Amino acid sequence: MMSFDVLFNQFLSGIARAALLFLVASGLSLTFGVLRVLNFSHGSLYMLGAFVTYSVWKVLLIPVVGFYIATILASLIMGLIGILIEFFLLRRLYARGWPEQLLATYAIVLIITDIVKWGWGGEFLSIPRPPPFKGAVFLFGFPFPSYNFFVILLGLILVIVLWWLVYKTRLGDIIRAAAHDREMVSALGIPIPWLFTWIFVLGSIIAGLSGAVTAPFGSIALGMDIEIIVECFAVVVIGGMGSLPGTLLGSFIVGQVYAFGIMFKPELALAFIFMVMAAVLIIRPWGIFGRPER
Amino acid sequence: MKNRSWLKKNGWLILLIVGFLIAPFVISKFYITILCEAMVMSLFALSFNLLFGYMGQLSFGQAAFYGLGGYAVAMLMTKLQFNFWLSLVAGVGLASLVGLIVGYFCVRLRGIYFAVLTLAFGQLIFVIIFKWHDFTGGDDGIQGVFPPEYLKSIEAYYYLIFFVFALSTLVLWRLVNSPFGQTLKAMRENSERTEFLGIHIARYQLIAFVIAAAFAGLAGAIWVPFYRSVAPSYLTWIKSGEPVMAAILGGPNVFLGPVLGMFIMTFIHAYILGFTHFWPIIMGTIILIIIFVLPGGILGFAKEKLKEKRDIQNQEQVGRRSG
Amino acid sequence: MKKVSIIILMLFVSSLLVIPMGFAQTKPAPAKKPVSKEPVKIGAIYDFAGPCYMYSETGMHGLRIAVEEINSKGGFLGRPIEVIVRDTEGKVDVAVREVKDLLLREKVNFLIGPCSSGTGLAMQVVHTEYKTIRISAIANTEGQTVDKFSPYFFQVVPNTYMEATAATRYLHKKVPTAKKFCTINPDYEFGRREAAAFTEEIKRLVPDAEILYEAWPKFGEKDFTAFITAIMAKKPDAVHSSLFGGDLVAFTKQAAPYGFFEKIPFIALYDLPVLIALGPDAPEGTFAFARGDFFQDPNPKMMAFVDKFRKARGTYPDGWAVMNYDAVYLLKAGVDKAKTIETEAVVKALEGITIDSLRGTFSIRPLDHMGTVPCYQGTIAKDPAYPFKIWKDITRVPGEQVVRPEASVREIWKKTGVVR
Repeated sequence: MMSFDVLFNQFLSGIARAALLFLVASGLSLTFGVLRVLNFSHGSLYMLGAFVTYSVWKVLLIPVVGFYIATILASLIMGLIGILIEFFLLRRLYARGWPEQLLATYAIVLIITDIVKWGWGGEFLSIPRPPPFKGAVFLFGFPFPSYNFFVILLGLILVIVLWWLVYKTRLGDIIRAAAHDREMVSALGIPIPWLFTWIFVLGSIIAGLSGAVTAPFGSIALGMDIEIIVECFAVVVIGGMGSLPGTLLGSFIVGQVYAFGIMFKPELALAFIFMVMAAVLIIRPWGIFGRPER
Repeated sequence: MKNRSWLKKNGWLILLIVGFLIAPFVISKFYITILCEAMVMSLFALSFNLLFGYMGQLSFGQAAFYGLGGYAVAMLMTKLQFNFWLSLVAGVGLASLVGLIVGYFCVRLRGIYFAVLTLAFGQLIFVIIFKWHDFTGGDDGIQGVFPPEYLKSIEAYYYLIFFVFALSTLVLWRLVNSPFGQTLKAMRENSERTEFLGIHIARYQLIAFVIAAAFAGLAGAIWVPFYRSVAPSYLTWIKSGEPVMAAILGGPNVFLGPVLGMFIMTFIHAYILGFTHFWPIIMGTIILIIIFVLPGGILGFAKEKLKEKRDIQNQEQVGRRSG
Repeated sequence: MKKVSIIILMLFVSSLLVIPMGFAQTKPAPAKKPVSKEPVKIGAIYDFAGPCYMYSETGMHGLRIAVEEINSKGGFLGRPIEVIVRDTEGKVDVAVREVKDLLLREKVNFLIGPCSSGTGLAMQVVHTEYKTIRISAIANTEGQTVDKFSPYFFQVVPNTYMEATAATRYLHKKVPTAKKFCTINPDYEFGRREAAAFTEEIKRLVPDAEILYEAWPKFGEKDFTAFITAIMAKKPDAVHSSLFGGDLVAFTKQAAPYGFFEKIPFIALYDLPVLIALGPDAPEGTFAFARGDFFQDPNPKMMAFVDKFRKARGTYPDGWAVMNYDAVYLLKAGVDKAKTIETEAVVKALEGITIDSLRGTFSIRPLDHMGTVPCYQGTIAKDPAYPFKIWKDITRVPGEQVVRPEASVREIWKKTGVVR
């Protein structure tokens, strides 16, 4: 049978995948939790973030720190685009039904696809892994890519920052209250539109950041937006929409299901994810850590 | 006198039908092809809108039924040399059967949860067809699905599609205006109240879900022999998004809204691909413009305007009478 | 306010309709031209979406250069060539509709394309029904020439069987002792066929060969880590792959930290775009196969094309551009031989024709219309002459040596019902 270290190694690769998924899905979950918008364009900002990171990195050509600077810049640029999207589009649609909001974000997906096609010509690109995360570290004698550690580390930092933001600040109190009962928050005299803008911007920054981090991890190519968004929905749905611990658990489950699915039943690995997603929705529609909608 | 008012009221419909019937003699083969596509996709969109416009539930997995109908026809006809007409029936049957299973779980949920669960089931069915290479042909799909000799020409198949489309539209129209359709609408407006009235919501919605799946399956089944092939991309959530766009463009609250939306989308798409491959950005812009400028969709907006105008006229009349 | 918005909308819609009409009007009306100068229309149908976008783009550049060259020398039988481009968006239904558009409305004489095997198979049924020739220069599934043979289809790209067979031989030559193998292929038509051909050939070369594990990542996978660890856990002697493009870039970067390339001999489709994208990350000493990037066949004709391509595009031509260039010249050879553009005559002329292409000479096998085009293999290495890594130990395998034997083709036809 399979030895422990083989299984452990597969477990680690599942964790790396989970960290990446968490980076992307946390932003999606945040916007959903507060705005109640199923934001299809999140994946597009992730893709655009990766392409922008590449271009900034290419222009800067600064050794060692070039990638990190590019990451920060790309995330901020995605934040700016987030402001534009929220201010000019979504804000005008909060009074409408959620299907129209959803379709509006899908329209943004279509528009960003073509902007990337037009701007970068659809070539697949790659950024070498930045130092000091080029090689591997050894865990119980097994190599483990150090960049994966960086991704996991970043995921953890993001967890802590978001946790602090949501549970320890006044903004967080408002966020949680708004996720729970929007009318009450607005009745308390807190300007909802203002809150929504900032949450959406934060979500967009996270999308850009996760795209930037993916760039040295794999390749940057057209279609990566569509590829990730459904998997992120699975994560957010399993964990509970709008719940931070839920997103963490959801990414963990999806990452592990996929990693071990690949090892034991590769042809069904993808199907397993949707089965888990459907099962959770049937048994507990609001997800493992979510709260029933009021 | 009565006849005349009937003619006045339904004249546009007769004109439309006559237009469709003589179309193959007037316009070129390519536009007949596009008309066929528009009609089949409209049927698909109508099936979606039975859930969305009348039941108030957005399904993001409708393409799974569309694709299943298509796959049933393709596999029966190419692998078992099944009769064309029987295959069509089998396609509708398979779609309704799967619709029954999926619907059983989905109709208990509301709003966004319903949308996400249908998305999950749709993707699950897609992945199974995609991965089950030995049985379904996997990603390559199935080619060489030919209709019988007498339906091979574009014109002959056009009449078949038109007939199926017209008949289905009529059936759906009768359905949404029947007590059943009214109940669906009532449940959308006020679910607690209808529950209180002793109407079992889940059962009604399940029936509607299966009917919608059956018509989506019919659309897929009739489509595949026309293009001679089927592929897993027919089942993806991107395909499921097409009727959503069509319904919101045309107006989900008007019976023919999704049809108008689909006709516009199909024709503009076919037209624009003729000179650029930057189609998505144009479609995206159109969606945004419709959402912002014509809330309620094109027909929904027009209906609203018409109603306002009538109301004003009525008020004027009332004012005159009382004055 | 509302009225204004309606007017804006109407303006927008009408502008959508008017712009292309303007396009159409800039073209001279065909009726005014003398009949002999009526252009020969080539419909180029490609997948300008997702991962196929790049291949379609670069392929079109090669095609356009060939068309310009031929047009400057009098075109096809004195008639200029007009290229009409259509996009499938990578969707089979759109592919069928656009092919119908090209055939019914544009009335093209020939078709070239597409990139994806799936759209290729779907459009094959349609252009066969309308009796129009199509040449594939990128999509290379063997299904197009063998299982679903069409008399109107020709292929100038090594098909999956040829490509994988040649690659397997190279891998065997380099690692003759290897007995235990793993494979990792994208999960769709192309990858399935490559894996099958690899298994078939390796069992011929190494009768006691064992396939330990077959990995099927989805096309467009971003994270191969779980596949990499699963493969390494099996401890194979060598790994065969047909990963390509962005997927191969991601795989390579994720496998490197595991010491994958030092431990396991590996062969995959490391073509020019992948080598450029990977830059310093391209694993030296790893085996590669491809379809004719410029450095793999530096004959004088190819080098002349390189100069022309670099002048036009500023980059080096990859195999995708080369094969599209060859596709146009194959058509020219067929038309010149037939002395007409009439389909049946050109089909007859193309059967058995031999042309001098950028990749040396090849001919069209009359039986299944497969071009006996070469396959290239090599080992990734640095070269100071280029800013990216290229190959050393390059082998050029002529198509005749690896193409599926005619008897085997007939055998498959018996099963799939092709009569010829």
